[in-house]
Amino acid sequence: MSTTTERPAAAPTATPAARPTRVRRRGRSSPLATALSHGALILASLVALFPVLWILYISLGPDKTDYLHPGGILDKLTLSNYHHVLFDTDFFTWFGNAFLVSGVTTVFGVMVAATTGYAVSRMKFPGHKPLMWSLLVTQMFPIAVLIVPMYTILSELGLLDSYTGLILVYSTTTVPYCAWLLKGYFDTIPVEIDEAGRVDGLTPIGTFWRLVLPLARPGLAVAAFYSFLTAWAEVAFASTFMLSSDKYTLAVGLQTFVSEHDAQWNFMAATAVLIAIPSSVFFYLVQRHLVTGLTAGASKS
Amino acid sequence: MSVAVQGATGKGSREREQRPGLLERLKRSYAKHWYAYAMIAPVVLVLGVLVIYPLVEGVWLTLTDANSLNSARTIGVNHIPASYKFVGLDNYADILWGPGSYDRFWSHFVWTITWTALCVVLHYTIGLGLALLLNQKLRGRAVYRMLLILPWAVPTFVTVFSWRLMLADGGAVNGLLSALHLPQPGWLDDPLAQKAAAILVNTWVGVPFMMISLLGGLQSIPAELYEAAEMDGATAWQRFRHVTLPGLRTVSSTVVLLGVIWTFNQFAVIFLLFGTSGGSDAQLLVTWAYRLGFGQQPRDYAQSAAYGVILLSILIVFTAFYRRWLARNEQANG
Amino acid sequence: MRRGIAASALVVALAVSMAACGSSGSSSDGKADGPVTLTYWDTSNATNEAPNYQELVKKFEAANPNVKVDFVNVPFDQAQNKLQTAMGAKGAPDVFRSEVGWTAAFAKAGYLEPLDGTPAAADTSAFQPSLIQQAKYDGKLYGVPLVTDTLGLLYNKDLFAKAGITDAPKTWDELKTDAAALKDKAGVDGFWLKAADGYYAMPFLFGEGTDTVDAAGKKITVASPEAVKAVETYKTMFTAPGMAKADVTTDAYAHMMDAFNSGKVAAIIQGPWEITNIYKGAAFADKKNLGIAPVPAGSAGKGGAPTGGHNISVYAGADQAHKAAAEKFAAFMTSAESQAFIAQKNSTLPTRSDAFTADVKADPGIAGFQAVLPSAKPRPELPEYSSLFASLGTNLGKAVQGTGTQDALSTIATDYAKLLPGFAK
Repeated sequence: MSTTTERPAAAPTATPAARPTRVRRRGRSSPLATALSHGALILASLVALFPVLWILYISLGPDKTDYLHPGGILDKLTLSNYHHVLFDTDFFTWFGNAFLVSGVTTVFGVMVAATTGYAVSRMKFPGHKPLMWSLLVTQMFPIAVLIVPMYTILSELGLLDSYTGLILVYSTTTVPYCAWLLKGYFDTIPVEIDEAGRVDGLTPIGTFWRLVLPLARPGLAVAAFYSFLTAWAEVAFASTFMLSSDKYTLAVGLQTFVSEHDAQWNFMAATAVLIAIPSSVFFYLVQRHLVTGLTAGASKS
Repeated sequence: MSVAVQGATGKGSREREQRPGLLERLKRSYAKHWYAYAMIAPVVLVLGVLVIYPLVEGVWLTLTDANSLNSARTIGVNHIPASYKFVGLDNYADILWGPGSYDRFWSHFVWTITWTALCVVLHYTIGLGLALLLNQKLRGRAVYRMLLILPWAVPTFVTVFSWRLMLADGGAVNGLLSALHLPQPGWLDDPLAQKAAAILVNTWVGVPFMMISLLGGLQSIPAELYEAAEMDGATAWQRFRHVTLPGLRTVSSTVVLLGVIWTFNQFAVIFLLFGTSGGSDAQLLVTWAYRLGFGQQPRDYAQSAAYGVILLSILIVFTAFYRRWLARNEQANG
Repeated sequence: MRRGIAASALVVALAVSMAACGSSGSSSDGKADGPVTLTYWDTSNATNEAPNYQELVKKFEAANPNVKVDFVNVPFDQAQNKLQTAMGAKGAPDVFRSEVGWTAAFAKAGYLEPLDGTPAAADTSAFQPSLIQQAKYDGKLYGVPLVTDTLGLLYNKDLFAKAGITDAPKTWDELKTDAAALKDKAGVDGFWLKAADGYYAMPFLFGEGTDTVDAAGKKITVASPEAVKAVETYKTMFTAPGMAKADVTTDAYAHMMDAFNSGKVAAIIQGPWEITNIYKGAAFADKKNLGIAPVPAGSAGKGGAPTGGHNISVYAGADQAHKAAAEKFAAFMTSAESQAFIAQKNSTLPTRSDAFTADVKADPGIAGFQAVLPSAKPRPELPEYSSLFASLGTNLGKAVQGTGTQDALSTIATDYAKLLPGFAK
């Protein structure tokens, strides 16, 4: 972890968002090349956009098998599916659950990880290397590694079908990730700040809390966004551990519409659209930071 | 940055020469580093309780014949203790060379490797291509960028269902193919087409991340390098080969590693595209492990956990080699 | 930063309050005679069956003011797994609709409350004896039969008439001839079999006089010569002229029903639970157009399909007050009056003779399936029996897509040997 690229820190990838993007303007391209670029980008944008538009379209058809005859939907466009989902299902409960679980996971992850990120960034101590190594390896865990033991443990503790259980499970990924990412961010904060704190007679913890942490706010935000989105979109653990309808997160609730023997694709599509709108709005608001953070956090592996 | 900067740690070196006893050394180490230990304590605690302990429990389960019939259960006030027994390495032996191990493990192993390689290559090349296009002075660049990251913005568990609708027999994809007079495979039906469909969906899902990361990398390449190359009379291809690619090396090595790990561990795409019972040939090792543990009756906890351990081992070995390879490359390239 | 802290404080506060709400779990509260809230998991079809059950539950609440019922519809294909998790740990319902095939396994694990001597089992004598027998494990009763069903051959009479066919096919061979004629003369697919589904493949095994296992003789029979013959017939159901091609997608069930209901396919193998949906289809605006016949026979000369259906079972982990209320609830849901009500609404088959009122018998769907019922095969009292369908379905799907019959069957036999230690191959 500290062997190859400890030094460059977050610098190479963290910079573009920080300073206004400087685009290379040298090789001015010919009109043909510009047209080709536009063509390729338009095509790619259509491919990116189409599936989302398609589910929006399907959500306007009133019958559960309308997706098999998409042409017929045009004649009977309706918002009845949205009405059903909003008023006759547990949609808002699921939404609240997903928000609650993701929110608490985020707060917990960032709070627990912050001091550690600072410690591994600034201090050398016995166990430094193994700790960094565990933080990295934990991020690679496939869900198959922990799901069975987590299931048996939570089951013994009576924590299946509880928010606490799910939050604990999500923390297994968010805590090490946040620590890792924040370490990268603290690396970019000049050591002189710490020294100034020491000169003023602050303890290391005082320095961290009063001087460094306020400077690290953007890093904390990235860690928070990442944790939130990970928990928000998680499927496997939520589907397995949450059993009662009033505890489902959105990822589980959405699946209940498409059971094998009674697949209500119309309601599924409407719910999907209702989930997609706030999720993507949130994503667009935070995405610039997210990109920086994801690559920065990992580039020092 | 990894140099010790804290006053407390700075004094250490001289004292060490006196070679005190073990207890004394521990005490000193504690006195010297207690700040650090106090600060890492929360994470160490969380890792210990939430990761190490379950991991040990998981490894222990792989050495037993645990399943849903003999595991501990609590029925109201009654607690029935677990009754599974130690079987040594039988589970691993059975998975790797037991009867039917080709169908149960190796076929999924080969497919998982193929899937990872193909997906990452597609993610990277398409992502790089789009990043290069977006890195020009073009009208509407911001709009393209917004649209192109849409697959990342909408949660996967939503978009996969959309693909399931589109790939269905009467769906949009085959509608388009029939309009173009092309063959219309049963995307979710035929084993080979299932795999193609899975790769298609995962590529769609994963390209935006690569594109945006590489775009960031492209924008951090100093313009002077291109100017110098142009003055030396380098062609566009030479500039790409000798300025762009080396300039992207740091970002690339990171995103490829991340891409491999994420693709190898991809759960939602396969799980939601083929449902709990369909697409048995298109199951990756990770979804297959899940199916053993939670998608069948009775559930085979022991083998599911053993798959998990095997998967993690593969990833750790891969990462170790990858990093060694990177380090060697770095040296070779100065 | 301050705003950030405020927001996180809010989230934590929210978490605490919601956790507090959440902890008043289903089966922990409730005193001996105070009001009780029962959690009931219904697994019926959410679109066309569940609303009627919900109506019935409202009647129960009206008759029992001390009991409130929290009616939760859980999709059938996810229910067994969820119950398995919940009943061994936390979050289980007090009472639920349990498929007949689950009874033995759940009872063996200790999840179900024996109902002998409780109000739930008060008039077992009125029920069809074989269904009561099927709800027993180790001599104790673990469920009260709610509905029963089996598979039959459902066909579109109009399309059959167009192809000049007057009688439903009696054997798989006749079905093949008919399918070819339907394709030729009526221009539609003659028959659609749900591929890669063990349950829908059972009639082929029964048609050759065999089964997946011989439970009494402790023998795995799925790779027997009879089974090979059955699978050979099974495979022709997708390749012979006039047959719909094999659809092994997760959404195959919906595709099949859509094709049949809209008149694009002339015959399917299906159970009574779909009848109300079928009547809503364009091809069956006239209910009389739906023909119902026993599943075709194989070369052994007899046909047959598994007995399906659902019981009401009570969770053993609930406390006394909830168990008592749940037993009352089970009795109410399975009473003659309730069953007749559901039968008329859902066209499903009652489990007791006194529920077959004149009105119920007048329903053409019920009348049709009542005639088919005698050919249904009861399930052996083997806890693992319903687990056997999964491997059968997956591997038959592969057989249809090109794996050899013998290979597919020996893979199944290997899987079964794992599930059933002590059984001979």
